[in-house]
Amino acid sequence: MSVKKKKGAQVYSIKKEQHRAAAIFVTPLLITLILLFLLPVILVIIMSFTNWTMTSTARSYVGFRNFVFVLKDPRFWKAFKNTAYYTALKLVLDTGLALFIAVLLDKKIHFRRFFRIAHFAPVVVPITASSLIWLWFYDPGIGPLNQILNFLGLPSMQWLYSEKTAMLSVILFSIWKGIGYNIILFLAGLQSIPESYLEAARIDGASERQVFFKVKLPLLSPVTSFIIMMGIINCFKVFTEVDVMTPNHGPLESTLLMVSYIYDQSFTRGKMGRGAASSLILFLIIFAFTMIQRRLGRKEISFD
Amino acid sequence: MENTARACVLAGNMNRELGTRMRANNRGAIPQGGNTMKKSVMICIVMLALIAVVIPAGAQTKLKVWFAVSGDSGETFKALLEKYKAANPNVSIEYSYSGNYADTATKVSAALLSNTAPDVALMAAGPLYTGARDDFFIESKLNDPDFNKDDIYPGVWDYAKYNGRICAVPYGISTQVMYYNKAIIEKAGINLKNPPKTWNEFLQVAKTAQTKGNITGTPDFWGFDVTDVPWLFKTMLNQNENSVISVKGTKISPAFNDDKGVEVANFWKKLIDEKVMPVGQHSNAEKKFLAGNLAFLAATSARISRWSKDPNLKIDAIPMPYFKRPSVALGGNVLVILAKDPKTKEAAWDLVKFLASKENQTSFALNTGYLPIRKSGLTLPEAKAAVTENPMYAIAFDQLDISWSYWHFEQMGTMDQLLAQAVDALERGALTPKAALDKAAKELQAEIDG
Amino acid sequence: MIFPFVWMMLSSFKTPADVYNYPPKWIPSSFKFTNYEEVFKKIPFIRFYANSIFVSVVQTVLQIAISAMGAFAFAKLEFPLKNKLFAFMQSSLFVPEIVTIIPLFLLAASAGLIDTYTGLIVAELNCAFTTLLIMSFFQTIPNELIDAAKVDGCGYIRVFLEIMLPNSKTAIGTASLFAFLTHWRSYMWPLIITNDVKMRTLPIGLKYLVTETGTEYQVLMAASVMAIVPVLIVYMLMEKEFVQSITLTGLKT
Repeated sequence: MSVKKKKGAQVYSIKKEQHRAAAIFVTPLLITLILLFLLPVILVIIMSFTNWTMTSTARSYVGFRNFVFVLKDPRFWKAFKNTAYYTALKLVLDTGLALFIAVLLDKKIHFRRFFRIAHFAPVVVPITASSLIWLWFYDPGIGPLNQILNFLGLPSMQWLYSEKTAMLSVILFSIWKGIGYNIILFLAGLQSIPESYLEAARIDGASERQVFFKVKLPLLSPVTSFIIMMGIINCFKVFTEVDVMTPNHGPLESTLLMVSYIYDQSFTRGKMGRGAASSLILFLIIFAFTMIQRRLGRKEISFD
Repeated sequence: MENTARACVLAGNMNRELGTRMRANNRGAIPQGGNTMKKSVMICIVMLALIAVVIPAGAQTKLKVWFAVSGDSGETFKALLEKYKAANPNVSIEYSYSGNYADTATKVSAALLSNTAPDVALMAAGPLYTGARDDFFIESKLNDPDFNKDDIYPGVWDYAKYNGRICAVPYGISTQVMYYNKAIIEKAGINLKNPPKTWNEFLQVAKTAQTKGNITGTPDFWGFDVTDVPWLFKTMLNQNENSVISVKGTKISPAFNDDKGVEVANFWKKLIDEKVMPVGQHSNAEKKFLAGNLAFLAATSARISRWSKDPNLKIDAIPMPYFKRPSVALGGNVLVILAKDPKTKEAAWDLVKFLASKENQTSFALNTGYLPIRKSGLTLPEAKAAVTENPMYAIAFDQLDISWSYWHFEQMGTMDQLLAQAVDALERGALTPKAALDKAAKELQAEIDG
Repeated sequence: MIFPFVWMMLSSFKTPADVYNYPPKWIPSSFKFTNYEEVFKKIPFIRFYANSIFVSVVQTVLQIAISAMGAFAFAKLEFPLKNKLFAFMQSSLFVPEIVTIIPLFLLAASAGLIDTYTGLIVAELNCAFTTLLIMSFFQTIPNELIDAAKVDGCGYIRVFLEIMLPNSKTAIGTASLFAFLTHWRSYMWPLIITNDVKMRTLPIGLKYLVTETGTEYQVLMAASVMAIVPVLIVYMLMEKEFVQSITLTGLKT
């Protein structure tokens, strides 16, 4: 408290020292951001106002035509709807399940190391291989998933091949593939809770449940908030895993996502200008969602 | 060149001596002597430089070649490139596999934008043909007598055109072939000595095979399926006298949703309704076929060489059924010359001629499962041997006579995508066949109009 | 959970007949290593592997260094435009790879970076995620520790090296693992920036086995099993960091 009452000169020099240090520490990051983010995005912005295509030599300014096209395109909105559905479902399941598993793995159970590696293993498998494996899983005729269902007396499902279940099947695959990340983050968060806090609560007579909900969970909220924010961002950016499981955007385009739409425009149709415009719109959408999430979150990553 | 160098050194020595003598003779003349020496050295350098540029340019041409085929096809193609290098020591070839068709298209597009494109590329048909950039160099070289363009099947030339003009050389060409599983056909008691000619006849045969020929005992057993839907659909359209795309002057518009097109779509729906083909399972079709759960499979002829090498697979083929007239659509890859400067283009043309020669292209085809593009190729002993060893080759080769390609234009990739989606919608009953085709046509027209 | 993983390992031993059998065989007919040998015959596996290791390790080290430094500045230092810079960094996360890949390629091509290690390495140093991650852990380190050090006369660089880093082993370990994993699996950028087969990385190599004439399923599985090993090693190394919890020494409760 008394620190603040120091003489002005000393405070000033502390600030200056921080500025100088910050210059050293932030510059490398700034350089990478400018080279790898700002410059390409400037090019993208320029492209979005032209009629650039991959194949022809047309290069002229077309104003907002690309943006208007994208915003009026029913396929774009279908992609948006699908992506929102994907995000909502995946976020809830992935975060909840990851937390649950992390809590289990945090305890001192036998073979803990084995289980931890087991849950991380899917993250590690190259997608070329894991997609083939899961495509076989989902095979309606000979795949093991239907075999298990039949064994239990349940009818076979169409999985990736029906517009009703394709998205769910893709989400299931995504969760299997990615949950290891969140488990690790939660574990790291759980482990950074000082044992002393937990003991203090237990000494005060709290049950394990209360310890979890009243001590662990609140202390985890920065990690949880981080996971949710990254989850939203990553879900809006997902493409490869969906494209590889459901080529051509799935039955009746039910797995058409925003980035698939961008890829379609830029690469399949060669309309780079339109692809650029839709990327910018996606950027704004993600930006909006993260703003919303910040407002709603209790403890965010802030500077106070 | 060495002589010139020696001359330059001598000239330099002479000048040095001259300079020294002059210095010795006339102290004040040192700058002059120095200048004279500098001048002759300069002339020598310029001459050497000119020679260095001109002679190697004649001595060593560099060609960058990318190819979009891997596995056996890749190895065979590489071997051909090596053969060319051995026979042409003044050409150095830098080659690389640029990924599958889609990845290669991305790479080539990016490379074109940044002027780092290869000189020759073996890649899939598409709007990346040089015709899109008004480069019809290949068209201008076609009458090269060494090349013998009339030896190549006319239908195959259509595949190498863009907006009606030739701008590529066909190379790894394939058509779809109607394969069948011998065991299933036998069990169903079907005799294919007189194979079904029309699609309706075929439908009956497939149905019989499905109901009577189940050899694996699984419920997921089907009569017919196809891996590449737009490809077969286009074949069917042409068979039914529909041209897929109609071109009036410079105006391009979809033609696949006219009455003849709707007929085809209705038949497709019939295949589903009669439960001969499963809904939306095309990406699994090949696996099913190999596992013995599918009687007939329409897949690329490129599978012939691979499947014949497997002793466990008892497969044969029948000619592709047709609607009003026999026809099969072409697929595969072509050679494109992307080089810009005239000298490199000529060198690239020489390489292309070599690769597309009777012997080389035919051996490439036979080793990889693609088709020979030259009629004379079929007279070669290897081709004849292939047919004797494997009757499926006979079917594939015969289909070359009725092969055809639709009009290639800028939005052809989009058209394939839209057709696939239209077929998907009609299979699932989400849209009637006519509505599905109309929707695709409308969207395609919108894309064309920009 | 691990069933697909187990399936992958079993498949790596199967023969083609096993693979296409109906019903599919679960246990391979023999446990020979033929598929593994095939991998080396079909693609220049060792070269791809070496390239991947070299590129991924260098990228990870660079990325973590840059991120940790930036995270320190954001977590503990005050400087002008801090909030704007933070927002700028965060927004770099909102752009999917395919959007920037062509412009980035144009930039790299004009800088002559095609088929170079520099081109492979530098273009993928996207540090926003790891910076945020490390930053959130840095924020849990009490300011009193830093104040104490400053009172003792430490410059910020020493604070960074002697206080922040040692106390965030978990965060650094986690971030390194994630960074390594992302770089190990990277496909699109290495594909587009390299033409020479000698420069290519493992994910591209795996795709080589998925040819237009059919996928060599069992060979692909063998290659994938081998591809996983380095990541598991990195994970095991990092896991040691996870097991220990952070004890905050020098702090009075």
